[in-house]
Amino acid sequence: MKIPLRYNLRSLLVRWVGTLMTAIGIGLTVAIFIVMNALVNGLDSTFVQTGRENQLVIIRQGSLAETNSYFDRGLYETVRLLDGIAHDKSGQPLASGEITVIINHPRLTGESANVLIRGVSDMAFAVRPEVKITSGRKFRDGLRELVVSQSLANRFQNMQIGKTIHIGRSDWRVVGLMEAGGTAYDSEIWADYEDVAQEWDRPIYSSILVRANDAKAAESLTKRIKDDQRINLQALDQKTYFKDQMVSSIGIKALGLFIAVVMGIGSCFAAMNMMYSAVMGRMKEVGTLRALGFKRRSILSSFLVESVILALAGGILGCLMALPLHGLSTGTANFISFSEVLFHFRITPTILLKGLAFAAIVGVLGGILPARRAARIKLVEVLRD
Amino acid sequence: MKFLPFLLRNVFRNRRRTVLTVTSIAVSLFLVATLLTVLSELNEPPSTPDSALRLISRHKVSLANILPKAHQAKIRSVPGVKGVCGSMWYGGVYKDPSNFFAQFALTTDDMMEVYGNDVVMSEAEKQAFLKERTACVAGRKLAKRFNWKLGEKIFLKGTVFPFNAELTLRGIYEGPDESSLFFHWEYFNEGMSKEFGGTADFCGFYVIKAESAEAVPIVAEKIDALFRNTTAPTKTESEKSFILGFISMLGNVQLLITSICSGVIFAIVLVAANTIAMSIRERTREIGILKALGFRRSQILFLLLSEAIFITLGGSLIGSWGARLLYSSIDFSAVTAGFFQRFYVTPETLTLCALIGLGVGVVSAGVPAWQASRRPVVDALRRVV
Repeated sequence: MKIPLRYNLRSLLVRWVGTLMTAIGIGLTVAIFIVMNALVNGLDSTFVQTGRENQLVIIRQGSLAETNSYFDRGLYETVRLLDGIAHDKSGQPLASGEITVIINHPRLTGESANVLIRGVSDMAFAVRPEVKITSGRKFRDGLRELVVSQSLANRFQNMQIGKTIHIGRSDWRVVGLMEAGGTAYDSEIWADYEDVAQEWDRPIYSSILVRANDAKAAESLTKRIKDDQRINLQALDQKTYFKDQMVSSIGIKALGLFIAVVMGIGSCFAAMNMMYSAVMGRMKEVGTLRALGFKRRSILSSFLVESVILALAGGILGCLMALPLHGLSTGTANFISFSEVLFHFRITPTILLKGLAFAAIVGVLGGILPARRAARIKLVEVLRD
Repeated sequence: MKFLPFLLRNVFRNRRRTVLTVTSIAVSLFLVATLLTVLSELNEPPSTPDSALRLISRHKVSLANILPKAHQAKIRSVPGVKGVCGSMWYGGVYKDPSNFFAQFALTTDDMMEVYGNDVVMSEAEKQAFLKERTACVAGRKLAKRFNWKLGEKIFLKGTVFPFNAELTLRGIYEGPDESSLFFHWEYFNEGMSKEFGGTADFCGFYVIKAESAEAVPIVAEKIDALFRNTTAPTKTESEKSFILGFISMLGNVQLLITSICSGVIFAIVLVAANTIAMSIRERTREIGILKALGFRRSQILFLLLSEAIFITLGGSLIGSWGARLLYSSIDFSAVTAGFFQRFYVTPETLTLCALIGLGVGVVSAGVPAWQASRRPVVDALRRVV
């Protein structure tokens, strides 16, 4: 026969101070677990969300990123005329030749980080409909004007509309802000291609982003470019190209896993302490239950359930503690592009469930020994005591 | 002191509870010590007498911009400069991208002067390296990681540059950073010049050795003044602040780690407070007897507090010293691909952990001990627990 759940709930409530303290302790562990997961998830999903189906990033053969790729301008003409590339309404092939450079620039907090500048033409907007200018206007060519992502403007000095940044030999004016729907392009500054190429004295392209007609066309384009020894370029699926940059979260992942494991162990001991004292304080009750005919197994599972309820209460507290951080924006180094990538803490229902599961595991591991202790008491001794 | 046996008896009266509490505190402080060590390793890169004399000069816009080779001779003529070494981050792939390690192409003329005792090899290895164009040297830990022997052929596939390096290992060096590989800039330049169909003649940055520590800031200023109005202006800073600049790109690690540590500490306060409150509550009657025997309030308070501190301080010492012992036996350079050269739990960290243990004891035992010491004798003796 099962011992009613109400018995456990009431027992926890009777010792509410101890219950609450243990629950908050476990809750803090769960909160940290959720926060670390939210960091990794936010960073990873920035890369996962970037890119569209059937679009290809074309860079120099052998390079791993746009930021260390460069090739002759003439190749652009060769590439854009290839078969299988989609065209816009006016009949232009959807191929955007771009140059990417990096500047080291101070954040609002003072310390510096690398920021990626993309020199583009109008075509860049056509192949990335997610990029929208939200205030101000687009840059005009020849005037050294910049459009900065809203997230960068919130984080870096002199990146707000009307401000000026000195780069190389010129002053560049911020004339607009853009948003890119939470993609990696939300960490970039865009400017006119010719302006950037001149300033850096590099008459080259770093990459060409093309849209293929369909999946089949994308595949044959990739092969066509790879096989052409003369152009020495490679075409990478845009989504895969950005997914590969998820390697940037490897440090946070390792740290998060380490913290979760160690804190989990610590919490198990805390829960075990609490449950032992619960068992020891209720020996007489347990004896009575046994005398009433409850099986050892029922007593074992009853105490285990009590421990899990305690831990889950902590888990729920942890979720509540972590939730306010959802959406908080931050940034870290993108190892592949060698520039800063901005992202948001992303707490999803899956992460919350993971947090609760983590709490439940703590409850089971912390409760198993005390519960076994309770199940094993000698009836006669306890009742005589 | 005469109460010590009494104290110890009380500490171990409920052996299981004490062990569980000490363990959960030890595990938590192990985590705190680890996180604090991450911070101290990031904020305090290993420093040597030679590294304190070194400066790094890079392009003002960012490290991704190159500097002309001609800068080297000009920097050498700056008063206070003892040696200048041109350096280029090569970023090649050894067999597989996951085998990541740092590779630099260095001008060899001033290399030994600039690195001094931070790159130590036998004279024979040094000569063998210097006289062979395609020779390279690797740090001891790096060589161990790939099981390289002298004479090993090392093929690196260029990713940043369209040039593959075919190298022969001629030396294995010892020093504070043993996870990098150095080869001849002249060899790199030849390869790049061939690729460009002209002369490449550029470096990524210059490593400069100043004559004295006092000269470092002056040299930095003079170098930057020298190139201020040229097409390649520089930013020169001490090697340490150059490294710290890199660390700051990772984002706000400081805030993340300090918030996690606060969470962990708060959680252990709860755990400790909980168990200490339990053990004091159980002893209400005993405390009443002590008072009846003539113990003063302050003495009882002192006894209870010392008991709590014994437990929390014990836990924190086990945790933090455990971290120190464990990490001193692990080669962190191999585990983190050279990100951490070492992982040393500093005396400051150990002291801080001990203080945390002390503080947790006082905070968590304070209220229940104070209450217990103030309870009237009659009340305490009558109280049914």
